[in-house]
Amino acid sequence: MNTTFKAIIWVVVLGVVAWAGYALLGSQPATPVEEAPVAVPAEPIKIGFMGPLSGDGATYGEPFRNIVELAIAEINAAGGVNGAQLIPIYEDAKCNGKDATAAAQKLTNIDGVKVIIGGFCSSESIGAIPVIEAAQVALLSPGSSTPDLTGKSRFFSRTYPSDATQGKVLADAAFTIKKWKNVVMIQEQIDYPLGIYNAFSSSFEQLGGKKVVKEEFPSTTTDFRSMLTKLKAMKPDALFINTQTSAAAGRILKQVKDLKWKPAIIVNDGTAGDMQIISEHKVTLEGALSAEFGTDPNNTKLQNLLSLYKAKYGTDMPYPSYGQTEYDAVYVIRDALLAVGNDGAKIADWLKTVANWEGASGSITIGADGDRVGGHVLKVIKDGKAELYVAPEAMKTATTTTATTTKQ
Amino acid sequence: MDIVPQLVVNSVIAGSLYALITLGFNLIYGTTKFFNLAHGVFAACGAYTVFWLVKIANLPLNLFVACAIGVICAGFLGWMLDVLVFLPLRKRKASSMVLMVASLGAVTAIQAVLAILFTSQFQTLETGGAGSYAYDVLGAIITETQIIIIVSSVCVVAMLGYIARYTTFGKAVEAVRDDEEIARMVGINTNRIISKVFFIGSAIAGLAGILIGFDTGIEPIMGMNILLKGTIAAIIGGVGSLYGGFLGAFVLGFVENFGIWKISGEWKDAIAFIVLIIFLLVRPQGIIKR
Repeated sequence: MNTTFKAIIWVVVLGVVAWAGYALLGSQPATPVEEAPVAVPAEPIKIGFMGPLSGDGATYGEPFRNIVELAIAEINAAGGVNGAQLIPIYEDAKCNGKDATAAAQKLTNIDGVKVIIGGFCSSESIGAIPVIEAAQVALLSPGSSTPDLTGKSRFFSRTYPSDATQGKVLADAAFTIKKWKNVVMIQEQIDYPLGIYNAFSSSFEQLGGKKVVKEEFPSTTTDFRSMLTKLKAMKPDALFINTQTSAAAGRILKQVKDLKWKPAIIVNDGTAGDMQIISEHKVTLEGALSAEFGTDPNNTKLQNLLSLYKAKYGTDMPYPSYGQTEYDAVYVIRDALLAVGNDGAKIADWLKTVANWEGASGSITIGADGDRVGGHVLKVIKDGKAELYVAPEAMKTATTTTATTTKQ
Repeated sequence: MDIVPQLVVNSVIAGSLYALITLGFNLIYGTTKFFNLAHGVFAACGAYTVFWLVKIANLPLNLFVACAIGVICAGFLGWMLDVLVFLPLRKRKASSMVLMVASLGAVTAIQAVLAILFTSQFQTLETGGAGSYAYDVLGAIITETQIIIIVSSVCVVAMLGYIARYTTFGKAVEAVRDDEEIARMVGINTNRIISKVFFIGSAIAGLAGILIGFDTGIEPIMGMNILLKGTIAAIIGGVGSLYGGFLGAFVLGFVENFGIWKISGEWKDAIAFIVLIIFLLVRPQGIIKR
C-alpha cells in the first residue's frame, strides 16, 4: 500500500514537472511575438537539418553542419527572409535510416519545421521520407545520391545528382578506356553503395564485362582480410571499393596494402572526395578511377564559400563537391521561402520547378522527379589528388593538367 | 585452395585480437561476477592515449614507450572506474545488474569524452614506417604489426598463467573468484584485489586497442564492437576461464574467417552468432569449464 502510494506521488510529481517543462519551453517561441507587437513579420523560421554528426559519417556531417551554419548566418545578417530570421535545428541522423526516422520525427513533430535540409547519406533520406510525407514537410538533400531516390516522393528533392550517372561513367571507363573485363567489388551493405553497384554492374555487364562479383559487409566491419583474400584469389582486372564512408575505404585500402596486393582500383565519389584519405593512401590509389560531381574553380560563389569557410573554421573546406551543393541548398530554401512562404507542401512543389538557378555548384535545375539534372565526370587519382581524367592522346597536347574540373 | 594459408593467418590475427579482449574480460568477470560493458572502452582509451602522444602532441617518444604509456593509462582508467563507481556500489551490496547498468553508463560517458577530445572521426595510429613491412610466409602475407599482435596475445596468456599459478596475488585472485566472502574472512583485502584486477584487465584491453589501432584504426565507438566479439569468445571458451577464453578466441577467429570462404563476407557476424547459439544450446559451460 505504502509503495503504491509512493508510486502515485512520483507519477504526480513527474506529471507536474513535465507540464511545467512544456509550459516553460513550449511557450518560448511565442515570446518574440509578445515582444514585437508591431506588425513586423519577425517570427523566426525554423529550418530542420539532418545529417551524420557522429560515427564514420561525421566526416561529411560536420562540414555539412558548418556550411549550413555559415549560409544561414549570411542570410540572417542580410535581413533574413522578409525580416524573419532563420533558425537552424540540427539533428544527428547517424547515416542510417533508423536514426534518420527519429530525427525527422523530432524535427516535424516537436520543432514543427516545414522544410528540412538533408539527409546527407542516402539511407537517411530514404528513412525520413515516410515521416516527411505524413507531416507534409519538404526535404531537400544536398548529398543523397542513390538512384533509388529518383521520383521517390513529392516532398523530396536534391541539389546533388543521382548516382545513376556515376555508375555509368565508371562502367564506361572501366570497359572502354581501361579494357577491364573482370571487375570485383567490396561493398558496404547500405543504400548509397548499393545504388552505385546496381548502376555500375548493369552498365558494365551490358557493355560486355563479366558479372561483377561482390563481397558485401555490414557497416560495423573493420576486418576485411578474408574477404579481400577471396577477391585477390580471383585475379580480377580491378577492385571496386564501394563504401558509404571514406573511413571504411581507408581501412580496406590499408588491408589491401597489408596483403601485398596491388590491384587497379575504382573508388566512389564518397572516397575520392576525401582529400586526406586519398593522400594517405596515394601509393595504393595511384591511377585509381573515380567519378565525381565536379566543382568549377572559376565559380565566384564557390570561391567565396571556400574563403568564408577557411576564415570561419580555420581549415580548408573538405569535400568541395558536397560543400557547394550544401551551401546552395540553404539558398534555394531561402528563395523557396521568399516565393511561397513557410509551407511544406508549397515549398516541395516549388523546389521541383527550380531551373537555371545559379549557385556555387553551377546552374541548378531540378526535374519533376526531384533529381538535379546533371551528372558525374570521370576522375583519376594521381599522387594523392583526384584529377579530371584526360585521355592519353589528349594528354600529349595538353600543356598543363590541374586538379580542376569543368561543370558539365 | 591457394587461399588457405592466408585464411589461416587471417584467423590467427583475428583470434589473437579477440583473445586479448577476452583475457581481460574473463579476468574481471571471474573476479567480480558482473558483465563489465565498459571493458571495451578501455581499448579505445589505450589507443587514443597513443594517438595523442604520437600524432597530436608529437612527443619525441619511442613508439614502444608510447604504447607502454597507453597500456598503463588504460589500466589506470580501469582502476579509477572501479574505485569511483564500482567499489562504492559493491560496498552498498548492489546486484550485478546494477553494476552492469553502471558500466553501460560509463561506456557512454567515456565514449562521449573521447569524441569531444578527438572527434568521432576514424583515425589510424599507423606511422608509415614502423610495423608496415610485410613478410611472405608459406604463401600468406603477414605484417610486422600482425606478428606483434600474435606474440602479444601469447605473452599475455603466459603471463596471466604464471601469475595465477605462482604468485601470492594470483592465489588471492583465485580465492576471491571462488568465494569473496570466505576470502575476506581469511584476511584477504578483496576490494584491493578487485581494483588490481581491474587495472590488469583494463591494461590488457588497452594493449588490444593499441594493436587494433596500428592494424586497422581507431574511433571512439570501437570498444563495443570488439567487446561483443570478446564476449562471444569468452562464452565459447568458458566464461571466467583463462585458457578457455584464449581457446575460444581462436575458435571464433577460425570459424569466422573460414566460414566466409565459400559464402559471402556479409555473413561473418552471423556465423559468429550462430556458433554462439550452438554453444549456448549444446555446451553452455564452454569448451573449458572453470
